[in-house]
Amino acid sequence: MNHLTDDELTELYYAEGTSAANAHLKACRECSAQYSRVKRSLDAIDTPPVPQRGADYGDRVWETLQPRLIPFEKKTRGWANWKAAALVASCALLLSAVFLGGRYWERVSTNKTSIASTPPTSQRVILVVLTDHLDRTERLLVQLEHAGSKDRTANAELQSEAQELLASNRLYRVTASNAGDRELAGALDRLEGVLAEIANDPKLSAADIERVRNDMNTKGILFEIRVLRARSSDEESRPGAAKGVTI
Amino acid sequence: MQRSDHSIVRAVLAGDKEAYGALVRAHSATVFRVAFRIAGNEADAEEIVQEAFLRGYQRLEGYQGRSAFGTWIYRIAVNCALNRIGQPGVEAEYRHGDESDPEEKTVQVATKDADPERVLLSKEISAAQDTAMRRLTPTEKSAFVLRHLEERTTSEIAEVLNIAPNAAKQAVFRAVQKLRRELAPLRGNA
Repeated sequence: MNHLTDDELTELYYAEGTSAANAHLKACRECSAQYSRVKRSLDAIDTPPVPQRGADYGDRVWETLQPRLIPFEKKTRGWANWKAAALVASCALLLSAVFLGGRYWERVSTNKTSIASTPPTSQRVILVVLTDHLDRTERLLVQLEHAGSKDRTANAELQSEAQELLASNRLYRVTASNAGDRELAGALDRLEGVLAEIANDPKLSAADIERVRNDMNTKGILFEIRVLRARSSDEESRPGAAKGVTI
Repeated sequence: MQRSDHSIVRAVLAGDKEAYGALVRAHSATVFRVAFRIAGNEADAEEIVQEAFLRGYQRLEGYQGRSAFGTWIYRIAVNCALNRIGQPGVEAEYRHGDESDPEEKTVQVATKDADPERVLLSKEISAAQDTAMRRLTPTEKSAFVLRHLEERTTSEIAEVLNIAPNAAKQAVFRAVQKLRRELAPLRGNA
């Protein structure tokens, strides 16, 4: 086994290291010495003690907060509820009828045209959506690579786009991971780190962007996204079943 | 008999506003602690506590009870703190002072050794540490505080910051690397 990296030693310090890393640490003098250095420097990091709050602190917080709260409306019972329930039931019935009608119509028209090789519509939609997400992230990463200006408006736009992408990226990552697509899940995972950094930095400056670029290897992630996008486009255009996740 | 947090939430949603007070009393100390550790000063921490409970109340209908109320409000508080330290003009402060002074935003730290040279060195280290902490991004700082001071696991940090576990782990690693790099010269001299 190779020597442990500083990140692995940090994991061991926080008791989250693997058993293999733990065994190596016990056997290797060099790593043991490096671990002592990591431990010493982390042990030395302290912050001021948290000021004690009195026993009445909760009461004081509540006193300040209480006038600002508007009570939730009490749940109404009786005729209004029955009317609402009837409305919901009618909508559900209507939706079911439309859905079943659509399914029947689809089956009839599919039989008529006999196009056996066309991939399922849902999968094509999924691939289009994923390709669109990858397109947008690629554009964002390219912008990030070239963002060096101190233009606050441009940075704010970049940040707003990152915030939007972060939410959808999380969904795709979880789905890819559940579907066992490790390549896609891994790339989306690394991408999520970059998006979180950009999205969560309200005073995003040129220096911050530079730091994200350097620390998080955005060029490497951009390359990965391009490869995945190409894969996704191929699958989208290929007749037959599509490989990849179902989102 | 004490009511569970979930039954209190149900009561609040049914129109009993006063019941929310029980949740505030039960969790405000924990929320204050994490707010102080991220923001670094009492005044901001107090405001974060208020904001977190206010936001919690406003979003209570969306609370589905999958996690404990304490975990849920803790997550909201970390996000409030994250927003606050990211605001222009608001910087997290971790100054160690000679006297507790709300105006100066400093906190008294007991020194075991009265040797003036050691006190001076200790102050230098503290100042360097403050600067290093300020140079972390909000995500790195929050991840580090949650890991190092709050002793949260990687998956808990990921859940609180709403990021992937690997992204949370990487944020901690980057914070540790930066802090060690910035503090190495001083530790060498110490």
